[in-house]
Amino acid sequence: MTMPSTVLAPPDAGRQGNYAGGVTRLVAFAADVGASWGLFTLGVAGLGFAINLVTGKQVNLASRQILALIAIIIWEFVYFAYQWSLGGKTIGMALLGIRVVASDGSPITPRQAVVRTVTLPLSFLLFGLGFIGILLNKDRHALHDRLAKTVVVYSWDARAARLRWLAKQEPTTSV
Amino acid sequence: MEQLVESIAERVVNLVLDAVDINALVAQIDMDAVLANVDVDAIVSKVDVQKIIDRVDVDEIVARVDVDAIIDRVDVQHIIERVDVQEIVQRVDIDSLVEQTELGTIIARSTSGVASEVLDVVRAQGVGLDDFVARWVNRILRRTSTDWPAGPFRLIDPPEAATEATTEATTGPPAEAEAPTLTAEATR
Repeated sequence: MTMPSTVLAPPDAGRQGNYAGGVTRLVAFAADVGASWGLFTLGVAGLGFAINLVTGKQVNLASRQILALIAIIIWEFVYFAYQWSLGGKTIGMALLGIRVVASDGSPITPRQAVVRTVTLPLSFLLFGLGFIGILLNKDRHALHDRLAKTVVVYSWDARAARLRWLAKQEPTTSV
Repeated sequence: MEQLVESIAERVVNLVLDAVDINALVAQIDMDAVLANVDVDAIVSKVDVQKIIDRVDVDEIVARVDVDAIIDRVDVQHIIERVDVQEIVQRVDIDSLVEQTELGTIIARSTSGVASEVLDVVRAQGVGLDDFVARWVNRILRRTSTDWPAGPFRLIDPPEAATEATTEATTGPPAEAEAPTLTAEATR
């Protein structure tokens, strides 16, 4: 099995608007999980500190698991739904250069963002089979994409990245 | 007659001067007493210094100066060693300097340059792996995907571009369709 040369080679074409692949989406989702958990932890710590400052009482969510679970679910919903409805991309998606759009390519509506957020857990609950469409379908639809009528595309200007890369090369080695 | 008197007087004066020991005479003069009677301020006040300065050609003087020779004679290293650089640095308000100059912009620009470079590398590797996985899936399923759309039609084939292509079709060859070419590459 040989690795593709394009992995280490500079990006050779513009990819804006093309359907994003599974690896990029998976890495972006992992980044989002990390970002959302980090922000949640920071928020809880800040809130606990503020409550302790005002009332003098210690707040420990670990001892109130149901409350913590509800808080996490609400937070994750807000994290994804708000960012998708705002610009079609979360922090992780922005890092990886992808975004969510409607199936026809138009900007995602707030309703679609909410539906996509609510149905996202379904793709996990079906033993991950909801994600298999990203590999098999021609438009790389996951289950929650199909339900929300959305797709994920590259929003990254690979052509500009290639120009930046070329600009840093020695004149003799430039293509 | 008058010339005769003048020549006699000149002769007499020369004889007197030859006979007098000037050095001995000067040695007997009390110069301090003489100078004490001289009003130097009055003399200086009568001198038009500005006029003298105006007559001096400074450029010509400067042109005659061999600056290189002067610099060669200066021990710069010795001067630098005498300067307390640490004290100078401590007296510099770095924050103010950054605010008032473009240093902040330069720092921000270089930082963002590094960040964007890292992002480019990560994204490029992500795209490469996407293509790699897509190729293997197609190979396993024994299918070709070259005729698949690269993306949503509004992004890949926007209405404006379609209109332009139709217009150009009447006058010449259509513009090269960039995205579909990439699609084939991405999904082959």
